[in-house]
Amino acid sequence: MGHTIAEKILGAHAGGKPARAGEVVVAAVDFAMLHDARASNALKRIADFGSDKLPFASRTAFVLDHYSPPPNQEAANVHREMRAFAGKHGAVLYDIGDGICHQVLPEGGHFTCGDVVVGTDTHSTTYGAFNAFGTGVEGTDLSAVLMTGKLWFRVPETIRVDLNGKLQPGVWAKDLTLHMLGRLGAEGANYRAIEYAGSAVAAMEIDDRMTLSNHAAELGAKAAILEADAKTTAWLKARGAREPKPVKADADARYFQRFEVDASKLPPQVARKHKVDDVVGVNEVKGQRINYALIGTCTNGRLDDMRQAAAILKGRRVAKGVRMIITPASRNVYLQAAREGLIEVLTQAGASVEAAGCGTCVNITGHLITGDGDVVITSANRNFKGRLGNDNSEIFIGSSATVAASALTGHITDPREIEGGTWRPVPKAA
Amino acid sequence: MTTPIRGKAHLLGDDINTDMHCSSKYHPGRDNAYVAQHAFDRLVPGFASRFAKGDVIVAGRNFGNNSSREQAVHILRLMGVAGIVSVAFGRQFFRNCINNGLPVVECDLVGIMEGDEIELDLAGGRVTVVARGIVREVPALPAAVQEILAAGGLIPFLKAHPDWKSA
Repeated sequence: MGHTIAEKILGAHAGGKPARAGEVVVAAVDFAMLHDARASNALKRIADFGSDKLPFASRTAFVLDHYSPPPNQEAANVHREMRAFAGKHGAVLYDIGDGICHQVLPEGGHFTCGDVVVGTDTHSTTYGAFNAFGTGVEGTDLSAVLMTGKLWFRVPETIRVDLNGKLQPGVWAKDLTLHMLGRLGAEGANYRAIEYAGSAVAAMEIDDRMTLSNHAAELGAKAAILEADAKTTAWLKARGAREPKPVKADADARYFQRFEVDASKLPPQVARKHKVDDVVGVNEVKGQRINYALIGTCTNGRLDDMRQAAAILKGRRVAKGVRMIITPASRNVYLQAAREGLIEVLTQAGASVEAAGCGTCVNITGHLITGDGDVVITSANRNFKGRLGNDNSEIFIGSSATVAASALTGHITDPREIEGGTWRPVPKAA
Repeated sequence: MTTPIRGKAHLLGDDINTDMHCSSKYHPGRDNAYVAQHAFDRLVPGFASRFAKGDVIVAGRNFGNNSSREQAVHILRLMGVAGIVSVAFGRQFFRNCINNGLPVVECDLVGIMEGDEIELDLAGGRVTVVARGIVREVPALPAAVQEILAAGGLIPFLKAHPDWKSA
């Protein structure tokens, strides 16, 4: 009986031979990430331990993204502590405005295919888009990694999903992951890893593949790993990552569950208010009026998201009464969007473009609080009641194309019915 | 290695988010000691005040789901929770419990009632309620996890085992 990608990667980092689902292994970690919202807890554990030696600090990124900018003195003081600690121990520092942890880690070339990467944010599953075992941990876990370079893992069972067929123009990885949420339910993959494979994944650009792995966090997945192809390895090498050695699943790997999704039949999907797994085709919520249109976050704040929005909004204005806010996922995304003229197109259309960071995902910074009765459509990953600071407002989730089309009309709109809404990236030769 | 835990069972329902019911998220500015006196009160009024040190939480499926805050486990320790039994735990919550020396056992809960004297044998892989004739075999916690629990959590474990072996 063969092995899954998760079993192979964890086994290779814990003595050599592939592990089996259910086993607990102590595995060597390749790269770690600590973000500001969990830093106090992790740094306190290190103080409890009393060690001043942190051999893994040079392979750990400290990222200031959730409190960007800090909403109060406590958050500002956490940032001061992180900067000082990173400086003292030689950790890699990404400061306010550099971007979201899950965007700056791959952009920085900090890990490669087959690596074990842990981060203190739930969406650390994103690293699976690059064929790495990426998973979210808490402060004690991260402090143990800083001190030892290792961590214990219960090797997960894997759900294998073959995404076959060709996505229609105007339909994106976001729509596929929302479909998965509707199908499995929130936390439907709790404890498990997911392997996404198939022709629809092969056809995706890296930006979209990152959405696929990222949004698996809402499924409760411990990891969401893709096989690597020429696109993956070229992307990683261009950013200075170590030589990628892709890890494949065996044909006879043992899966907890396996199914296929026909991507070619999927219309744009929308998660309705308050529940990430209350997912319907866009037609069922068409016409729902909106007050806010938000594009950004680690799920959908990348260049192809900006391009989708610009293709729809070029030379037009967002509907009267709609406030549109765009937050690039990183400084690099922001810069490239500026070079391509996207920032100008979006600003002229009436959108506000913010500095890179976690932005409007959740009301932490207090710079976006909705009013009673406000309806939001966002490309973010969560829509729990009150997430934007008001229990009496409603949040819907859709792709960046759906958000931009809705911003244009003032109500939830199928992007395929709007000029520019079927824009697609032109695949680059690998 | 680990001695069995015996305590009174306190029942909680399914899908409980510990960020919401056992953290300062809804008690802004309050410290852990305050939250420990009010934890789960919105679900079961008076829960924390009836809970005695050494008692056991018996929770429905997905206890701690969607709640990654380690603070919840610090508060459970302050309450004196000796162990938690659930059908299945939220993933990060499960890790946080082990890392903070709080035993967690996955077990079928049918027949276990409020106030029952319950025994958790982690090494033997057994959950027992003598008065009701309930004896349930559960998978024994892996040795690596039992060692961390026996040390009282991951940080004390690492102090005692600086050469943490890959295994």
